[in-house]
Amino acid sequence: MIVCVAVVGHQNNPLYIQSFTDADDALKLHHIVHCSLDVVDERVNNPKKSGPTLNETFLGLLYPTENYKVYGYLTNTKVKFILVTTDLDVRDADVRNVSIIVPCIELYYKSMNL
Amino acid sequence: MGREVSESCIDSLLIEMVSTYCNRFYANKPELAARRIEAIGYQVGHQLSERYTMERPRFSDHLEAIKFICKDFWSELFKKQIDNLKTNHRGTFVLQDNRFRWLTRMSIDQSPENGASEDPSIMADEKAVESMHLYFPCGIIRGALSNLGIPCAVSADISNLPACSFVIRIKA
Repeated sequence: MIVCVAVVGHQNNPLYIQSFTDADDALKLHHIVHCSLDVVDERVNNPKKSGPTLNETFLGLLYPTENYKVYGYLTNTKVKFILVTTDLDVRDADVRNVSIIVPCIELYYKSMNL
Repeated sequence: MGREVSESCIDSLLIEMVSTYCNRFYANKPELAARRIEAIGYQVGHQLSERYTMERPRFSDHLEAIKFICKDFWSELFKKQIDNLKTNHRGTFVLQDNRFRWLTRMSIDQSPENGASEDPSIMADEKAVESMHLYFPCGIIRGALSNLGIPCAVSADISNLPACSFVIRIKA
């Protein structure tokens, strides 16, 4: 299940962070989101030739920690969506295709009145 | 995002906006009026580019972003694409639209048959008024590009109506 969603602006400023677990975990989740921003920058600046191309908006699994998996999505305007989940058997394709990321993005656009 | 708006409303709004800023708000300061209009365009372009790049793969370089402006962005705004794109490959792009939609309702004044003495000042005034109308689209382009991470300066050139060209200079 998804424990944390974060929307980060183009200067790495947090726009929205929401964690869905008990309060004492929240700081750890914020740290995980913060670290994943570095991974996003790395992915963008050093594209792996064998992996997804430079132009992918969905960055896939950023990195797994001990209990969590972190997924990232980067828009053209450098807005980053970070998703932290504890589901150990969720696959990349599920997060990408199934409506997990896309409703987040659509809600973001709707809330910004775009 | 299925919101619709009537095109004649947009035309009237833009004409009225330019006229208000030039004649009422900043009556004797055309540079300030121009800057305000361009700033409005910047905001609009900023948000529009956010909306129109939603599902697309990311751009690999400046040329891709400019091509996006010429094709998808322009067709969303004006239902047509830019007719001609020129570049010097060193950060300057010229986008030419042969029939700019917001200028089609503007009269192309022929030179008056009489009085060569009043020609230059009248022509200069008309050019100034026409160029005021182009600050808004310049701002839109600048806002869209800066949201895609490309700071630039945009200026417009109307040597022959209704064609107009926008010159984009990317700040290095």
